[in-house]
Amino acid sequence: MTNHAAHLFAISTGSSEPIYRQLVDQVKRLVAAGQMAPGDGLPSVRDVAQALALNPMTVSKAYSLLEMEGVLARRRGMGMEVAARAGAAQGAQERAALLRPTLERAAMEARQLELDSDTVVSLFIQILKEQA
Amino acid sequence: MTTAIIQSAGLGKHFGSATILDGLDWQIAPGQVVGLLGRNGAGKSTLLECLLGLREPDAGVVRIYGEDVGQLSDATRARIGYVPQKSDLFEWMTPRQMLGYFKAFYPRWNNAKVDNLLLRWGFDKLMQDKPISKLSGGEQQRLSIIRALAHDPELLVLDEPVSALDPVGRREFLRELIDGVIERGTTVVFSTHILSDLERVALDLAFLKDGKIALQGRLDDLLEGARRVVGPASLLDGKRLAGELRRQRAQDGTVSIVTHGGAGLALLGQEAGVRVEPLSLEDLFIEVTQ
Repeated sequence: MTNHAAHLFAISTGSSEPIYRQLVDQVKRLVAAGQMAPGDGLPSVRDVAQALALNPMTVSKAYSLLEMEGVLARRRGMGMEVAARAGAAQGAQERAALLRPTLERAAMEARQLELDSDTVVSLFIQILKEQA
Repeated sequence: MTTAIIQSAGLGKHFGSATILDGLDWQIAPGQVVGLLGRNGAGKSTLLECLLGLREPDAGVVRIYGEDVGQLSDATRARIGYVPQKSDLFEWMTPRQMLGYFKAFYPRWNNAKVDNLLLRWGFDKLMQDKPISKLSGGEQQRLSIIRALAHDPELLVLDEPVSALDPVGRREFLRELIDGVIERGTTVVFSTHILSDLERVALDLAFLKDGKIALQGRLDDLLEGARRVVGPASLLDGKRLAGELRRQRAQDGTVSIVTHGGAGLALLGQEAGVRVEPLSLEDLFIEVTQ
């Protein structure tokens, strides 16, 4: 289980993003991408805390937030699982929201480079085509 | 509001003409895990020593569990664990003798934990009977940590506990801190320069600067609120931002402001020529303590 937790999540220290935020985003990404399906169990708070050497409060803060947002559900008994309506049922809008932080950073850099919106948008469209 | 475990008010300490602590007020609540940050020579060790009654302040009072720190009862003393930055005491003893010696002072002593930690942290029979003076710096530090954890303290104070440990040793220590200490609800105060370790375990931070606690708060809140705003003086000179920590003006008239009141800066960030950036803990450390 410890290995499972260690492989599931990766956190980076020294980031401007708090660790609980990093965990929240990672779970959302795994669920959105279908790597975790509704009903799949998550490693316990204690296992994640041990595997990543984190304060357990940080992990439970992330789990509680995910529960509040409906991504995770508390299992009868113990632990958390991916909520029934999460994942596949997640609309394009919610998945797009996951992209927002990355785009915000890109937008900031674009402004620093004093690029106009049209140039940036057409560059993004070009990149999307290249990746397709 | 629960009563603070450590309460200090107006704490002052001078060394010669140098003011180390300058009317410092600080409180630690039960169950807090607090990282104490500050530059070299800021007085972190002096502060921790004053808080524990190991050094007499020139001014102010400290109370631990409601008792004056100068006159702690044995019962309260037994609730506290302390790892000094450098312990050069008992060097002539062996680890086995030193632990046996300390065991006699405490009403509670967790033999199983001590044996387990000795085993896990590489103290074999041979090493347990070697004079402490012959151990490496890292081994001495590990021994000092084992000693401080042996009586299952309710308040654990650590002064640069991992400075002599390599990354593997640091990780082992963090795991023990998480599993054996924090999970039990122990209140922890520790100073360190290793910010990555701090981010992993501390929930609260306090920055010591100019003899006072310059900034403190939840680590998550500080990171989420910390922003650097850079823009032309014409726009920023007249603006006072909430939670400003530092304001600088470059030769070219660019103003750079660091604040910890991040919310509400989004609009400012829309203005032409203004940049709002998040900060890492390292950035924040530099901005607050400089």
